[in-house]
Amino acid sequence: MDTKWKNRKKGISFIIFFAGASLTLAGGIDLAQNLPGDFWRHPDKVLQEDYQQSGRFRDYISGRLEAFLAMATDSYNGYYDNYYDYYDYYGYAYPGISGVAEDEVTIITQQPVQDPLDEIQIPSEELGLSDEELEMYYHELDEYYRKEYELNPDQWYDYWYDYRYDYRYDYSRQDREDSLTDQQREENRKELCKKIAQQYHNSIKRDQNLLYLVAYDGQVLYANSELLDTDGGLTAPEGYNFLLQYADGKVRIIKDGNELDVYGDGYYRDNSEWYVPGYRNFTVDEEMKKAVICIAAAQEPVLYTWSSNARGSYQQMDNSLYWMRYNTLANRKWLISCMVILAIGLALLLMAFLCRKSKREADAAIARFTGKIWFEGKILLGLLFLYSIFLLWITGFSQNYGDFWYEWEYMTAVDYGYDAAYLGRSVTWMLRSLPGWAYVILFWLAYLAVNDLRRNQKVWKHGLTAKLLRTFGARDLRQPLSVRTARRNVAAFAACAVFGLLMLAGGVIGYTQGCHNAETVWGMGCLFFLILVGFLVLQYRIGAKNMEIARDLETLSNRIRDIRNGNYEESGGFAGNDDFAEDNAEKRLAIGNSKSNENNPLAGHDLEDTMAQLEDIRHGMISAVDEQMKSERMKVELIANVSHDIKTPLTSIISYVQFLKEEKELPEHVRDYVKILDEKSQRLKNMVQDVFAVSKAASGELPMHMEKLDFGKLLRQTLADMEEQIEGSRVTFRTEIPESPVMILADGQRMYRVFQNLFQNAIQYSLDGSRVFVTLQTDGSLAVASVKNTSHLELEKGKDFTERFTRGDQSRTDGGSGLGLSIAQSFTEACGGSFSWETNADLFVVTVSFQILDN
Amino acid sequence: MARQGMRLRKGSNMSDCVLVVDDDREIVKAISILLEGEGYEVLKAYDGLQALDILATRQVRLVLIDVMMPKLDGLSAVMRIREKQNIPIIVLSAKSEDTDKVLGLSMGADDYVSKPYNPQELAARVKSQLRRYTLLGDIHTGNCAGEIKNGRLLYRTEEKTLYADGEPIKLTATETNIIDLLMRNLGRVFPAEEIYRRVWNEDAFASENTVMVHIRRIREKVELNPKEPEYIKVVWGIGYKMEKQEKRN
Repeated sequence: MDTKWKNRKKGISFIIFFAGASLTLAGGIDLAQNLPGDFWRHPDKVLQEDYQQSGRFRDYISGRLEAFLAMATDSYNGYYDNYYDYYDYYGYAYPGISGVAEDEVTIITQQPVQDPLDEIQIPSEELGLSDEELEMYYHELDEYYRKEYELNPDQWYDYWYDYRYDYRYDYSRQDREDSLTDQQREENRKELCKKIAQQYHNSIKRDQNLLYLVAYDGQVLYANSELLDTDGGLTAPEGYNFLLQYADGKVRIIKDGNELDVYGDGYYRDNSEWYVPGYRNFTVDEEMKKAVICIAAAQEPVLYTWSSNARGSYQQMDNSLYWMRYNTLANRKWLISCMVILAIGLALLLMAFLCRKSKREADAAIARFTGKIWFEGKILLGLLFLYSIFLLWITGFSQNYGDFWYEWEYMTAVDYGYDAAYLGRSVTWMLRSLPGWAYVILFWLAYLAVNDLRRNQKVWKHGLTAKLLRTFGARDLRQPLSVRTARRNVAAFAACAVFGLLMLAGGVIGYTQGCHNAETVWGMGCLFFLILVGFLVLQYRIGAKNMEIARDLETLSNRIRDIRNGNYEESGGFAGNDDFAEDNAEKRLAIGNSKSNENNPLAGHDLEDTMAQLEDIRHGMISAVDEQMKSERMKVELIANVSHDIKTPLTSIISYVQFLKEEKELPEHVRDYVKILDEKSQRLKNMVQDVFAVSKAASGELPMHMEKLDFGKLLRQTLADMEEQIEGSRVTFRTEIPESPVMILADGQRMYRVFQNLFQNAIQYSLDGSRVFVTLQTDGSLAVASVKNTSHLELEKGKDFTERFTRGDQSRTDGGSGLGLSIAQSFTEACGGSFSWETNADLFVVTVSFQILDN
Repeated sequence: MARQGMRLRKGSNMSDCVLVVDDDREIVKAISILLEGEGYEVLKAYDGLQALDILATRQVRLVLIDVMMPKLDGLSAVMRIREKQNIPIIVLSAKSEDTDKVLGLSMGADDYVSKPYNPQELAARVKSQLRRYTLLGDIHTGNCAGEIKNGRLLYRTEEKTLYADGEPIKLTATETNIIDLLMRNLGRVFPAEEIYRRVWNEDAFASENTVMVHIRRIREKVELNPKEPEYIKVVWGIGYKMEKQEKRN
C-alpha cells in the first residue's frame, strides 16, 4: 500500500514536472518568437488591439503614399516580377533613402497567418499589359536602376541576369529603342506609367478599407471614394478614424480626431515612426510638391470581394488592412495564450519543485529504465528524433514560406561558401524559426541524456560496441603482446587508409558532381562527420593504449630498477601488506599460473602478465633474501654464543698463562712452552673477536655510525697510527694521497679497521725489503684507494683471499686469524663502498672505492 | 699459588677490600691472585646473592662482578647494590658489544671490562676506581674556576697540569699544549692540521704523523689501556678529540 502510494506519487510528480517544463518551454519560446520587433521599444504595446498602432500599418500607409506620389507624378516605381509571380507594390519612390528599419517588417510567425502584402499579388494576365509592354516596362525599369546605381550596361546585365534569363527576352527591342528620340522615349515612358498607374488604381480601388485621393496640380487623378476631397479639411469620413493628408510636400495625420506629431524634431532617423516626406532631411522636388494626396483607413476593415460574371471569376481585393487588423487581433490572442501556457507551466514547475523528492525518485526510476537500453540505441533514437524535428520543421517552414526561400538562401550559401557572419546569422535565424514544440522535444532529449549520464555510470559501457570491444579485448589479451601490438598498428593503418580513401572519394564526387542540392551536401556532410568521429575515436583509443603501455613500461622499469637496487618493498599502488603479498606469491607459485590479482596496478593492461611475473620474481627474491637473512642471523647468534662460551675458558687460560709468564724460576724449555701458549691464546682471542665481527657484518647486524669524512685523512691517520709497526717491519710504505679532502660517507671506526687489516696483511705477507704502495685517486665520482704489495710467497691463482680463514699459506702458523680480508670486505660493503682485489703474478692489489660526496 | 708478582705499590691501601664475583671459580681465583699481588684484600663470591650477603656484612671498597651468573645475574646485583651503596663497581663480561657496555653502565656500574681481560688493564682500572673513590670521595664539586673535569681526568688550567685519579701526570710542554687544547674543548674534533697550527704555531705540513706520535705518548700516560683509549680518541678521517665522559647518575 505504502509503496503503491509512493510509486503513484513518483509518477504524478514527474508528470507535473513534465507538463510544467514542456508548457513553460513551449509557451516561453513561442512568446519570445512572436513578440513584435519593437517589443523592447514599446513593451506596453504588445497587446495592442488597434492595428493602426503597428509598424506594419505605418509601413503600409507610407508605402501607399509613395506609390500614390509616383502615380501622381508619372514616375517609375517598383517592378513587376514575373519570374517569381510576385508583384511588389509601388515602392522606392524617394531616391536615395532606403526602406524602413528591417525589424519593423521582418517578423517570423509560425502561425499560419496570411500576410497582407500577399493579397496584392495579381496574376500577370490581370495586369492587362501585353508582353511587349511588360518588356518595355522592364527595360525602363532597368534603365532607371542602372542610372540610379551608376552601372555600365555589362555590369547591369550581370546584375539582372538572374531575373531575365528565364524570360523570353526580345533582343530586337533594343534596336527599336535605339531609333527613338529622347522626346519620343519620354512620351512612351509617361504613357506606360499612366497605364501601370491605372492598372494599380484598378486593382486596389475596390478595397474600401483604404480610401484615397490622388490629385496633381489641383486636378484629381485617381480616387476611390467621393468621401474625400482635396480641400475637405482634416476630418475623416464616417467609419474611418485615420486620415493622412499630403500637400505641399508635407504630411498631416489625423487619428481619432487628433492630429499626430509626425515629424518630431523634424529630422528623419532610423527609428522615426513615419517614413514620409516633409522632414528637414527628407524633402521632395517641386514636381512632387504639386501633388495632393489623401488617405483614410477604416476603423474596422472588412473583406471586399469583386466578382465579374462576364469574366467568370471573382477576385479578392487588396484587403490588406482587414488582414492587418485580423493578424493584430490573432497575434494578440496567440500571445495571450502563450502567456497563459507559460503561466500554467511555471505554476506546474513550482509544484514539481515542491515535490522534488519524489521527482528525483522518478528520475532515478527513469534512469534505471534508460540504463537498460543499449548505448547505440540511445544514440540512434536521439538522432532519429533530431532528424524528425528537422523534417517537420522544414515541412512547416516550406508550407509557410514556400520552398524557394529556403532553397535559395541555403543553396547560394553552399555554392558560394558560408562566411562566419552568414553562418552565425543562419544559426540565429534557425533557432528563431524552430517551433516551440521542437524545443520541447530537444529539451526532453537533453534531459533524458543528462539524467542517464548523471545516474548511470559510464553509459557507453552498456552497449553492443562496448560488449564487442570487451569480448574482443578479452580475447585480445590472451594473445601475446607482440600480436596485440601488431594488430593495433594494422588497425590504425587501415583506419588511416579508409579515411584517406573516403576523403579522396568525397573530393572526387564533390569535384565531378558538384553540390547542387541541399540533400547531397547535408548527407555527405553528415556521413563525413560520422566517419571523422569514428576515425578520431579509433585513433584516440589506439593512442590511449599506446600511452598506457608507455606508462606501464615506466612503472615496470622503475620496478625492475628497484629490485635491482635491492629494494623489495611494496611500492605505491600495491595494496596489501607483505604477508598477504607473500601468501599470494606462494599460492601463485604453487599453482604455477600467474592470474591477475587485485594488487596489480596494471590489471587489464597489456603488460599485466609481465608485471605479475615480475612480482613473482620479486616475491621469490624477498623470500630468498629473508631466508638468507634468517640463516645469517642464526649463524650470528650461534657464533655469539660460541664465542661467549669460548671467551670464558679463554679468560682463565690467558690469566694463568700470564701468571706463568711472570714465574721466574722456570726452566728454559718450559719458558718456551709458556711463550707458545701465550701467543696462541692471544691469537685465539683475536680470532674469536674477528669471527664475531665478520659474522655480524655479513648478516648486516653491525651497528654503523655513518658520517662525512676525509678519505685521505683516514688513510694518513691509519698509517700514522700504525707507524711503529711499519717502522719495525721489513717493508717500506710508499704513499700517494692527495692533500685536498676527498669526502666520503662511511663509518670511520670500521674503515680504520679495514685499512688496519690491509696494512697488517701487507706487512705480514710482503717480500722482505719490498715496497707497499698506498694510493688514493679520484676517478670521476669515485674515490679509489688501493694497497699494492708484493707477496713473499707465490700467490695461488684463482684463490679467493676474502674467503674466511684463507691465508697466503695453508699451514696457518702466522698470528692472523685468517679473517683480515674478509673483515675488510664485509666492513667496506657495510659502509656502502666496494671492495675488490686482484693478483698479478706476485703483486697483490686491493682496491676500496667510495662515492665522493659533493660538498 | 706463589705470590712472586706481589708488589706493594705507592698509593695503594692495604685496607682496600675488593669483592670479586664470578661463577667461574678459576677466574675468581686468577683475579684474586692478580689483585692480591697488587696489595688488595680480596673477597670472593660465586653468584649474585652471595655477593649481596658479603656486601651486607663486610666493608667492601670495590666490586668486580660478572654479568652471566646463576641465581642472581650481575646487572640485577648491580642494581641491588646501588640501592644501598655508592662504592665503585666494575662489570666484567664476556659480552663485548657496545650495547652491552652501555647497558651495564646505565645500570649503575662505574666501569666495564670485557673478557678475556688484559690483567694489567684490569689492575689499572681497579686502582683508578679506588683512587677516585677514596681520594676524591664522591664529592662532585663540579667545575671550579680553572678546573676542567672529565671522568678520571682533571685539568687545572692555571697550573696547566693534568691529574688522573687525582695524581698529577708528567707531560712535556707540547703534550701539555695538546691536552690544554683538547681539555678546553671537550668533545670537539680537531683535525691534525689545526692541532699542529695551534700547538706548534706553524703551518701544517705532514702533520698527521707528528700529532699522532704525541697523541700516542699522551695516551700511554693517561689511558688505562693505551690500545683501547677511552679519552683521547681518533675520529677516523676527521681528526682527534677528548671524549667527554658520561657521569654516573
